Amino acid sequence: MTFGLSSTSDKSVLKLDPRTKLCLLTAISLIMVGGKTVGAEYILRVICAAIPFILLLTVRHIKSALIYMILLGLSVFCEGSVIPHISGAANLILMIICGILSRFVPGYMMGWYTVRSTSVSEFMTAMDKMHVPYFITIPFSVMFRYFPTLGEEYRSIHDAMKMREIGQSVKNPFTYIEYVLVPIMMSTVRIADELSAASLTKGLCAGGRRTHICQINIRLYDRLLIIGALAMIVLFFVF
Amino acid sequence: MEKKFEIKDLITVGIFTALYFAITFAVACIGFIPIFMVFMPLLVPIFAGIPLMLYFSKIKHFGMVTITSVIIAVLMFITGHPYPVFIFCIGAGLLTETVLKTGHYQSIKSCVIGSSTFSLWLLGMLIAFFFGFREAYLNSLVDGYGQEYVDKMTGYTPTWVFFAMIAMCIIGGLIGGLLGAKVLKKHFRKAGMA
Repeated sequence: MTFGLSSTSDKSVLKLDPRTKLCLLTAISLIMVGGKTVGAEYILRVICAAIPFILLLTVRHIKSALIYMILLGLSVFCEGSVIPHISGAANLILMIICGILSRFVPGYMMGWYTVRSTSVSEFMTAMDKMHVPYFITIPFSVMFRYFPTLGEEYRSIHDAMKMREIGQSVKNPFTYIEYVLVPIMMSTVRIADELSAASLTKGLCAGGRRTHICQINIRLYDRLLIIGALAMIVLFFVF
Repeated sequence: MEKKFEIKDLITVGIFTALYFAITFAVACIGFIPIFMVFMPLLVPIFAGIPLMLYFSKIKHFGMVTITSVIIAVLMFITGHPYPVFIFCIGAGLLTETVLKTGHYQSIKSCVIGSSTFSLWLLGMLIAFFFGFREAYLNSLVDGYGQEYVDKMTGYTPTWVFFAMIAMCIIGGLIGGLLGAKVLKKHFRKAGMA
């Protein structure tokens, strides 16, 4: 494996096309969120739950893959063998927690994988090849780039508040939200300005048809995965 | 005020949509507790309205809000909401666009009203509980969450609640917009950022 030069995704063993990832992401969240847990859809759910695990392994996020597996395993185990034995409020609470985990975690992990393993230029190239207009792709790519930054900003603000020993002492939730939200909004404005300056330097505003230096191709396994994802969606709607 | 749509605007759209979506998602997560589901359209706009006001204050051109609403619709669809979310999102986006336009993208009053009209897209997320979608959706919940949960949800969501939710969206959006205006005045106007 070589480092440097190309984009962020070169740690990957299996290099998927962004279109494939989007296809899989749609299939997984459709099936995991809306699906039933009985019959043929159960098999679909198992396949969908396994895909992010395998893909996370291919980008060598072994730790997060394991955490994901444990979380999912626990919630499925709870749903299957703990919940029928208890009743009342505890049942409801556990049910809700497990329901959220088993429904949203696979989609979330798939989304995380997609964001982590796709560089912005790969995403833009893929969208361009799909003929999505630029006024949709640019906000989208900015957004996906910004989500991790948002998390970082939040953590820094949290740390700064801890250092000054505010945070626990703030009892009023609105004050707390103001303390967190205002700095985040400030940095959002700043980041937006910096990004537009950067894009200006890179000639994003120049107009004309843009070319792409990064190469993305739909390879054989991409085709297989896309067909698989589409087949799963079709099966999901048929049953 | 220049009319041309720039890349800068698209970046603003992207970044603020991300912020708005993150906050909406965080607040909406408490909607899994059945009773909060009913009040979600009130709670979400209150919190999400604050960054929304900052976003509105940056808007100078027609179309930015519509793009935001399209993006939110796509994200919502990808995360497994039924298709009517598109109609509601884009409808709310266009409505807000008109409201902002009548204020010439400058008046705070129209921003506050815009914040409440924009919140109407939340109904697209919740429509699954009502009208023609109700039976199928609740049935699909039964074996995921259990009969007890579904019974609770059914109890909380008779049809009239839908209309109450419209009112909640509008009121929540107004509160959020006013809060946002206050925050803008307190923190951003002074720093020259809004």
